[in-house]
Amino acid sequence: MSWITIVWSMNAAACLTLAGIYLLVWCKQRQNWAHLLFSFTAVATAAIAAFELAMMHAETIGQYEALLRWIHVPVWVLVISFVSFVRLYLHAGRRWLAWSICCLRTLVLILNFVFTPNLNFRHITSLRQFSWGGGEIISVPVGVANPWGLLSSVSLLLLLIFFVDATITVWRRGDRRRALVVGGSMIFGAILAWHVPLVIWGIIDIPFFLCFTYSGIVAAMAYELSYDVLHAAQLARQLQASEAELRETEQRMQLAASAAELGMWMWDIARNEIWITDKGRALFGFAPSEKLDFDRFRSALHPEDRESVHQAVENSLRTGAEYESEYRAVLPDGEVRWIAGRGHVEFNGDGQPVRMRGASVDITKRKQAEELAARQRNEMAHLSRVTMLGELSGSIAHELNLPLTAILCNAQAAQRILANGQVDRTELREILNEVISENKRACEVIRRLRLWLKKGEARQDSVRINKVVQDVLKLIHSDLVNQKVIVNCELARNLPAVTGDPVQLQQVLVNLVVNACDAMADCNTPERRLLIRTGTGNGNGNGAVLVSVTDRGGSIPEEKMEQIFEPFFTTKAKGMGLGLSVCHSIIAVHRGKLWATNNADCGATFHFSLPIGIRGTAVPISSNGQLDDHA
Amino acid sequence: MTTPSPTVFVVDDYAPVRRSISRVLHAAGFAVAAFASAEEFLAQYDPRTLGCLVLDLAMPTLDGLELQDILAKAGSVLPIIFLTGTADIPKSVQAMKHGASDFLTKPVNDEDLLSAVRVAFEKNRSVRQQQTELSEILARLATLTPREREVLEYVVTGKLNKQIAGDLGTVEQTVKVHRARVMQKMRVRSVAELVRLTQRCGISAR
Repeated sequence: MSWITIVWSMNAAACLTLAGIYLLVWCKQRQNWAHLLFSFTAVATAAIAAFELAMMHAETIGQYEALLRWIHVPVWVLVISFVSFVRLYLHAGRRWLAWSICCLRTLVLILNFVFTPNLNFRHITSLRQFSWGGGEIISVPVGVANPWGLLSSVSLLLLLIFFVDATITVWRRGDRRRALVVGGSMIFGAILAWHVPLVIWGIIDIPFFLCFTYSGIVAAMAYELSYDVLHAAQLARQLQASEAELRETEQRMQLAASAAELGMWMWDIARNEIWITDKGRALFGFAPSEKLDFDRFRSALHPEDRESVHQAVENSLRTGAEYESEYRAVLPDGEVRWIAGRGHVEFNGDGQPVRMRGASVDITKRKQAEELAARQRNEMAHLSRVTMLGELSGSIAHELNLPLTAILCNAQAAQRILANGQVDRTELREILNEVISENKRACEVIRRLRLWLKKGEARQDSVRINKVVQDVLKLIHSDLVNQKVIVNCELARNLPAVTGDPVQLQQVLVNLVVNACDAMADCNTPERRLLIRTGTGNGNGNGAVLVSVTDRGGSIPEEKMEQIFEPFFTTKAKGMGLGLSVCHSIIAVHRGKLWATNNADCGATFHFSLPIGIRGTAVPISSNGQLDDHA
Repeated sequence: MTTPSPTVFVVDDYAPVRRSISRVLHAAGFAVAAFASAEEFLAQYDPRTLGCLVLDLAMPTLDGLELQDILAKAGSVLPIIFLTGTADIPKSVQAMKHGASDFLTKPVNDEDLLSAVRVAFEKNRSVRQQQTELSEILARLATLTPREREVLEYVVTGKLNKQIAGDLGTVEQTVKVHRARVMQKMRVRSVAELVRLTQRCGISAR
């Protein structure tokens, strides 16, 4: 056996091996057509190698003719596979060129079987046998070439053009390695394939070695495909690494979450299933294996907070806004825990909420601290009211004395009328009516005082600010009369309600009015005028109710505009300097603002704004910590 | 010349108190006139008025002390009883200094109020009587001739007729006639009585 047989056989074997491997690969990944095409290419190349070897060893002309005729079948397969590979894998080559090549090659195949003995020869006159390259004796055909064989050459030429065009496209696309390896080998192979017509036309005298020209291409394709496989393997490794990293991150996150006492959760809205970390289960007191849905979550909440949480969730689902809520959860053992929940909703392509992810954290300690602060603040406000009442005691005694005087005098007058014997029933009736109405008035004074002195939590009522102004003017009416201060009110009609504690708001206004009166103590009597205005305006970007108290006393030095709201700052001999700072904190808790300005002519104006309708919180979250200073 | 009957004038800005106090006074037999403010009272004020004023201390615009001032400047002798809801010491001191008749705190007992009113009435009555007597003396004085007036001024110094005649450069007999006429016109029987009268109307001796 000479080297020729060995080399051609090895070529065929190598090609078959590659074909087998990639066929297997294709079987695993059916969507990857390049692998199947490659297998076809490799099988066809192997077949060509076998045919060539057989032709070299052909004994008779008839044998040779038959072999030459049938070799066209693997060549056809090869050309079609090449063209398809270039189109499908490299995404290059002109479509019309591809179709022309395929059609022409098919035509060549058909004509090949029409003509006898084949497309290449009209007839083979003899087989020239000689020893080639130091190997065995080989056969080379000698005969008259078939002019239709030119069609085969044309298809080869078109294939070359197609390859060149495709290579340029790939090169331009920037995929230079692929252009060089695959395109280059294809062009090179297509050029080498020109030895076939040259042999047939009798120009050169060598055996066909098409299988080598094509196996070069096959090798290049195999290299390219294996590169892809390697690349995929590399990606898989990277994926593994990043998955490990992800797991690591997840673990770290869980560690952080559990360190921060965070319970992470995810609510699958369509299936109404809640997944929650163990920490989260412990937070709400859910059993470790308990199946959770929204109703179960809702049932764990404090009954008073269920509605507000429900609304917050609904709002997020509707608007896509971040879910934020602070609520109480009741644990199975009855313990009440304050929890803050944050989360966001994920929507599908149709804008339907799909799931909600978030975290919950125990804020019981913070809430307790805030409640303590609120309690201290309320106590401070109460203390301040008590102090203020001390200052106003004379005036309040007067407020009580008036109805008491009227009652006493009326009763004694009635006694005298009865003693006189001439009873005027009409007058007696009037007297009794007045006794009753004056008694009611005294009760009203006492009721106001009781409210004023009442200790306890700040209320969250709907408050009409004009009513507050009127109540305050009643409360300190005598004081105003005593100090000869004339009060003008400009109260806006149809003011929207604000939310808050009516007594604390009265307290603010009393403070401002009393301060204004004190500021005007040195003014001449007709100058002691006070203006109380109410209206609407803008406070912190939202609609707000505005109240202002304007006096005609001295003005406030600019550098003290802020200082006056600080605790223990006072300009009065008898004051503690707490009034305004308490007012400031009361208004802040109502999410409003208290400030002062100097008037153009004389005196100062104190303003405060209260947001319309918004519920203030009993325990404010202050960003600047100012509240705590005042509390 | 008719003088109005004695009346209690009640000035208080708070209607129920004003009405009830008026009722008590009225039931006790006093004539009462009530006013809601100092200004209202001043609008109808008659200097010849008799009686007393029951005045609320704290009132808007014109208060009790200011009304007291205005009346004093106008020469009123109407006694003032202050009524106050608060026992304000500086104000009560000021009121008393300026001649207030009494200072009562609300709620006031009827007996206290009535006795204060009676005292004030009595005070008013005696002041009025003194005023009447004084005006009568002044009227008698007005009937004297300049010479008789001169003689009177000498007589009240206790000088004898002879000394007066010497001082006036006339005879004792003439002085004697003038003295008798003075005694007659002034309706006194003794020099001591004449001295008391002239002292009351502030005539100084020569």
